[in-house]
This record gives sequence, C-alpha cells and structure tokens, in this order.
Amino acid sequence: MKAITLVLILMSWVAGAQSKFETGMQKALALWGENKTGEASALFERIAAAEPDQWLPNYYLAMVNATASFQTRDKEAVSAYLTRAQQAVDVEMAKDDRNPELYVVQALVYTAWIVSDPMVHAMVYSPKAMEAYQKAEMLAPDNPRVVFGKAEFEMGTARYFGKDVKPMCEQVNRAIALFKAEKPQSPLYPAWGLERALMVQQECNK
Amino acid sequence: MKPILTFLTLFLSFFASSQHKVSGRVTDAAQKPVSGVNVFIDGTYDGATTAADGSFEFTTDVSGQQVLSVSALMYDPQQIAFSPEQNTPLVIVLKPLANSIDEIVVSAGMMQTGDKARVSVLKPLDIVTTAGSAGNIIAALQTLPGTNNVGEDGRLFVRGGEADETQTYIDGIRVGQPYGATVGNIPTRGRFSPFLFSGMAFSTGGYSAEYGQALSSVLLLNTIDEPAQDQTDISLMTVGLGLGQTRKWQKSSVSYNLSYIDLSPYQAAIAQNIKWNRAFQSLAGETVYRYKLQNGLFKFYAAFDASRFDLNQESINTGQTRVDLTNRNFYLNSSYSGSFGNAWTVLGGVAYGIGQNRIGFSGGRVSDDENTFHVKGKLQKKFSGSFRLSFGADWFYTDFSETYRATGINYPTDFGQSIAASYAEAEFSLSKKWGGRAGLRLDHNTLLDETVVSPRLSMAYKLNKKAQFSAAYGAFRQAPGTVYLKFEPYDFTSERASHYLVNYQYSHDRQTLRLEAYQKMYANLLRYDTPVPAPESQFRQDGSGYARGLDVFWRDGKSVRNVEYWVSYSFIDTQRRYRNFPEQATPGFVADHTLSVVTKYWINSLRSQVGLTHTFASGRPYTNPNRDGFMNSRTPAFNNLSLSWAYLLDAQKILYFSASNVLNNANVFGYEYADSPDANGRFARRDIIPTADRFFFVGFFWTISSDKKANQLRNL
Repeated sequence: MKAITLVLILMSWVAGAQSKFETGMQKALALWGENKTGEASALFERIAAAEPDQWLPNYYLAMVNATASFQTRDKEAVSAYLTRAQQAVDVEMAKDDRNPELYVVQALVYTAWIVSDPMVHAMVYSPKAMEAYQKAEMLAPDNPRVVFGKAEFEMGTARYFGKDVKPMCEQVNRAIALFKAEKPQSPLYPAWGLERALMVQQECNK
Repeated sequence: MKPILTFLTLFLSFFASSQHKVSGRVTDAAQKPVSGVNVFIDGTYDGATTAADGSFEFTTDVSGQQVLSVSALMYDPQQIAFSPEQNTPLVIVLKPLANSIDEIVVSAGMMQTGDKARVSVLKPLDIVTTAGSAGNIIAALQTLPGTNNVGEDGRLFVRGGEADETQTYIDGIRVGQPYGATVGNIPTRGRFSPFLFSGMAFSTGGYSAEYGQALSSVLLLNTIDEPAQDQTDISLMTVGLGLGQTRKWQKSSVSYNLSYIDLSPYQAAIAQNIKWNRAFQSLAGETVYRYKLQNGLFKFYAAFDASRFDLNQESINTGQTRVDLTNRNFYLNSSYSGSFGNAWTVLGGVAYGIGQNRIGFSGGRVSDDENTFHVKGKLQKKFSGSFRLSFGADWFYTDFSETYRATGINYPTDFGQSIAASYAEAEFSLSKKWGGRAGLRLDHNTLLDETVVSPRLSMAYKLNKKAQFSAAYGAFRQAPGTVYLKFEPYDFTSERASHYLVNYQYSHDRQTLRLEAYQKMYANLLRYDTPVPAPESQFRQDGSGYARGLDVFWRDGKSVRNVEYWVSYSFIDTQRRYRNFPEQATPGFVADHTLSVVTKYWINSLRSQVGLTHTFASGRPYTNPNRDGFMNSRTPAFNNLSLSWAYLLDAQKILYFSASNVLNNANVFGYEYADSPDANGRFARRDIIPTADRFFFVGFFWTISSDKKANQLRNL
C-alpha cells in the first residue's frame, strides 16, 4: 500500500515537473517575444541549471544572447553577450555534439562576432562559421534552419565579391519549402527562420 | 523506512509549505549596485534579475537549506547557502571574474600579438600585410620599438644588444638556430612561416625567470592550437612557390607547408649590387601536429630548411672573394601542456636542432655542425585568484664541431656545453590595483664550471581598466657564443646584464599607447686582442657597457575609418667596451633614433589593402681612419619607404604586390676602409650598401578550403 502511494506521488511529481518545464520555457519564450532579453536570458539560465537533461534551455539562452548582440554597438556588451552565448553552446556541445540545431546557433554566434567588427573578426570567424554550417549540413541536410543559415552566410560573402548569388537563392527557396513542411518535435522545439527566409527570398527576386 | 520518511518530509516541505519572499541587493566590491544579475534558487525556476539599484525580490515555495545562485556577466558566479524562510534581505557582493580584464598583468618589457593577448601590439596577419616585411616575422618585429634596424644583417638587435642576446622559443621550447645561415653583409630571415603561429610575445627586457641564457630579449612564438578548417594554400611568387595544407579531425589536426625559393630569375631581371654566381635557393618545410587529450594538448612541430648561394664578396683590401654557402637545418619540438588535479597546470617538452654549414672561400673551407637540445618541464599551481606559483627545470645541451681546411691547414675545434637550470616564480596581486611577479633562476653550466643565480622582479599598478604603470628588474646571464667557446680551454664565464624598466601602457577600443624607459648594465663582456676571435687571441672578460633609452609605441585603428596605423620611436644611448674595442664606444649597429610608421588602408570599393611603411634610423657610428679616434664618424641617416598592395580577387584568392625603398634613398650601412693609406696618405673606403637598391615582390595566394563531404562526415 505504502509502495503504491509512493509510486503515485512520484508519478504526479514527475508529471508536475514536466509541465513545470513547459510552462517555464513558455514564459521565457514569451519574455523574449516581448523583447525583455535580460529577463528571458535569466529565466533560461535558471531552467538550464535546474534541468540538466534538457538541451533547449541552453539552446535558447545562446539564441537570446546572440541575437541581443546584434542590437547593440557597445563593444564590451557585445563581447559579454557572445561570451554568455558561447558558454551555453559549449555546455550542450559537451553533452551531444551531433545536434544540428546547436551547430546552427554556434554559427550564429560566430556570425555575430563578424558583424560586430568585420575588420577584426572576419578572418578568424568566417571559416569557423562555415565549418559549423557544414557539420550541421552533414547531420541534417534537410533541416530548414541549416539550409537557410548556410545559404544566407554564403550569400554575404558572394555579394561582397560581386559573385552570382543565384545558387544561394535556390537554397533559400528550398529552405522555405522545408520550413513549410516542418513539423516541430514539440511545441518548444526550434521552429524559427521562415520569416527571415521570406525576406531574403524577396531580395533574391528583386 | 527511513529513506521514505526523509523523502516524504522533503516532499511535503516542497508542496505544503507556504510561499517565502526572497529579497536583497547586489553590489560590487565598491558598493555600487549591479543590475541585470540573475539571482535564483538552484534547482528551481524561482529567481529574479536585479533592477537598476541592484535590488531583487521573488517568491518561492521551497524552504530549508537551499543554494542561492548569483550569476552575472563579467563577475565570478556565486553559490550561497541560505534558507528562504529566514526572510531577511540578503546583501550580495560580487567579485570580478578572476580571468576578466581586471587581472593585473605586468606589461613592462612585453609586447604581445594574437587572440589571447590582452593588449595586442601586432595582429597575426600584420606579419604578412606590413609593407616591407614580406612574410618575415623578424622584419615585422623590427617595426616595434626597442629594436635596431640592421639592414645588412637581418636579425633582431634589441636595445643595444647583439643579435645573439635574443633567444627564440616555440611553444615554450627553445630554438637553437632561429635564423637562416648567411655570410657577412647579406641579410638573413627568420626561418618560421607566420601562418602556423597564432600569437607571439616579444620581450625587450625584464622577462620572467622561466627564460634564461638571453641577455637582451626573448621571442616567444606559439603555434596554432586548433586550426579553423581543412584547407590547402597555394602561393605563386616571383621568388618561388609554396604549398600548405591543413587537415583536421575530431581530436587532432595536422598542418604542413613547403616552400621553394629561387632568386635567380628575379636577380636576372633586377639589377643587383653584388655579383651572384648562384642566387639564393632554398627548400624549406614545416609541419605541426596537434592532438587534444582530455585535459591537455600535445603538439609536435618540425622544420627543415636547406639553402645555398654563391657570390663574390667585395673587399677594398682583397678585391673580390668568392664565397659559397650550403646550409642544412632541422628542428623538431614536441610539447605537452595541460591541467590536472586541483588547479595545477603542466608544460613539458623536448627539442632537438641540427644546423650544418659548409662555407667555401678562396682556398679554404669551413664546415661546422651544431646540435642543440632542450628539455623542459614546468608546473604551475593556482592557489587563488591572487596567487600563482610556478617552477620548472631546463636542460640545454649544445654540441659543436668545426673544421677549417686550407692548403696545409687542418684545424678542428669542438666543444660540448651542458646547462642545467631551474627556476621558481610567484605571481601575485596584493589588491585590485597592485600586482607583481617575483622569481629566481639558477643556471649551472658544466663547460664553464659555474653556477649563477638570477633574480627577477616586476610590479604593476593599475590606474584603471585602460591604463597601468609597471616596473621590472632582472638579472640575466648568458654563456659566450659559439665563436668563442670553440676556443676552450679558455677560462670563460657567462656574460651579465641587468635591466631596470618603467612602463606606462594605455589601451582602449583599438588604441594602444606604450611608453617605456629602461636602463641596462652589462658586465663580464668578452674581449679579445685580434681583429677576429682566433686561436691566438688573448681573451679576457672585463668588458662592460650600458644602454638606456626610451621606447614609444602608438597604435590606432579607430580615429580614421578603414585605416590602421602604428608609430614606433626608439631613442637609445649605449656604449660598450667589448670584443676588440680599444675603448668604450657605441657599437656600429646602433642608431640613436629609430622611427617606424606603418599604415594600412582598407579600400572597400577596391577590395584592397594598401600598406605603407616608413623606417628612419639616424646615422650609425663607424671608425674613419683618416681622422683620430675610434667610432669617430656617423653614416648618413637611413630611410626606407615600402609599399604593398593586397587585392582580394575573391574570398580565397589574393594578389599581393610589394616594393621596398620606393623613394630610392641611397642607403649606406657602413664603410670598409683600406688597411693601408694610398699615395696621398688617405685611407680609401668602400660603401657597404644593400644587396639591391629595391626589392619587388609579386605573389598570388590561393586558399582552397576543403568541402569534401565524405571526408568531413568521417571527421564528425
């Protein structure tokens, strides 16, 4: 009898924890949506610390900080954001280095370094970003974020050197088809990218 | 039963307890509020970020012993034990991150490059893109203050010291023969390709007790830890060909490069000031293999170099003398660096180098062979953020043999020198403003049969995040060079120098200013009484000297858009009584004033980087026998304006053009006087000038990054 009670209690507790994770993550994503990046980052950090078996909190922690770095021109702030993002990526990479979404956010962190100061960082981080996309492509050739991220990154280089961007535009079109067909594994699973891909597609069609 | 009870108690406390309010305030050590700090109870989602006044407040369901995590960018994360039901406001004081920019690093003497450098004076690419350096690490370093530009030699001369007073290290291990072989008045180059190195530190004085056997300077080169990607580099140059490759696996990577240089087509096209019978020709290669272990990194580096040339050396006394030189050099170095246990780090390595020279000149031949070994071990323990102790041991061995043969002469010389050394050094910070380093080095040389102790001390005072003052003192010992030691059994002893320096450094947002004043005292310098060191020379070691001066460095990548420039100025006052000097005097390689201005302008619309480098050096002393006295005259000032243009054809193809001395200054390094006067009683002279008035270089550099999917998949 006691054993059954215990099992029941345990089960409800596990179920509770599960939904607690989801509500916590949804709250953090909502904060991010309201552009409260500091609070969103802090909540993702708390969840990451409490849920070491989940990779999504650190994934979003990296995403929030990498995207936040694009919105400031203060060099010290950029460095602080990207250091935080890199730490989060490193934690998850050490657990699983075959997750294509992690390579995408890793490439995004490198891209953010390049954007912050191309003269200083392009030389070092361009090949690293490209390598991250290549690894992601190897693991998930039909992941829309992988296809689009790589195409957009290559497009930047091609434009600079006055090269034809048509092959990248074709990849963007393919990514859009993949985005539309994508069924996220869970409501919290990364599903972003379609909007930006459509914007880039418009530039392609100009 | 008991575990269940415990569990239930815990469980009940989890749900049944009422909500507790947790509040408090976060400040830094100076009581200033810190905002945006994440304060939360470990293992729960309960927490808050601090407001602008550093305050935070949140509610939680948990109670009992809990851990409060405090995390903020740029600060040390904290874990505090507490109970939420206590209900008293918490006061949390953050400490800056131990490894953040607040750490005090003594900047006296040291100039660094690369990503890891806190204050970088040069960037890795500067070595390739500085006009006039042509990929030669040493030439790029000669645009930094404290160096004397000795165009007819090519080696590094630091603060009035001879070139052999500088030691070169790769990944912490000494390089026995860092320069290509050459003969009088033909400049040499550094052996190492800049592409394999990610950072370097160049110290012009007051360096750590880790480094010995160098009176003036150490140059520390570090190979790349982890290359970015697989790639192939091809270079086609007017002077030769180059090929490099990098392959990367999950834990290891290998890079190599090969170059073939032949100056004969170039010298046929461009007029030369000397007669070359066989233009400089060389085949050289380097390789680095790295293997990442759980807690460390193993590196293996090897370099070989075979070169030759044949020329007619001019002399006012003997006319033209034909000289030919063949040099073979091989160097290998393997090192391990890693961490273990509780904040211990270890560095260990071995190096072996062999250099062979075969020099022929009218009627005679000299062949010499030098084998050098270095074994090193170093341990470091970090006791806290403010105290670090390191200690280590070195063993250097040099085996040298030389034979001089001419008609009727066969004169062999040889020696073996073994130096065992150990050192200990403490790095400490006394407060947030004061820090320093104190060390002691013990060298035991079996050939000279002596044991010497060299203390080193440096201190730094941080004015603020951007600026610091520092000062350094050190005693340095170095055994006399090969040219003297081969005449053992003379009773030699090591030469001595002591350095005193004060430094001010400011660095902020792509601007760096360095000011350094120094005083260097020499003692036990070797003297002899013949024109060159020879078996019949009388050697003594009562020579002495001094060097004092001021070095200024300013780098700015901020003020002018797309322009990066730096200016180095050195003033030196030095005199020595050494070698065969009859009295104390300024040596012939010293210019009192040296100025280098290096500019790089990035033209976005042309996808080009244009570089201009101007070097000025005031006249150097020489002895004019037509006048009284020693070192009684000065050469005209030296001026050289070099130009370079790098054009990016696309992301992976670069076209590079450079020319030295575009203003065609007639530079004279010195004069050679006739041994005896002519009919008018005058000593005639010959100018010692560069081997060519100008140097042109055109190169095409193509990088192919590997995109082979089959390969890459295996690498993942």
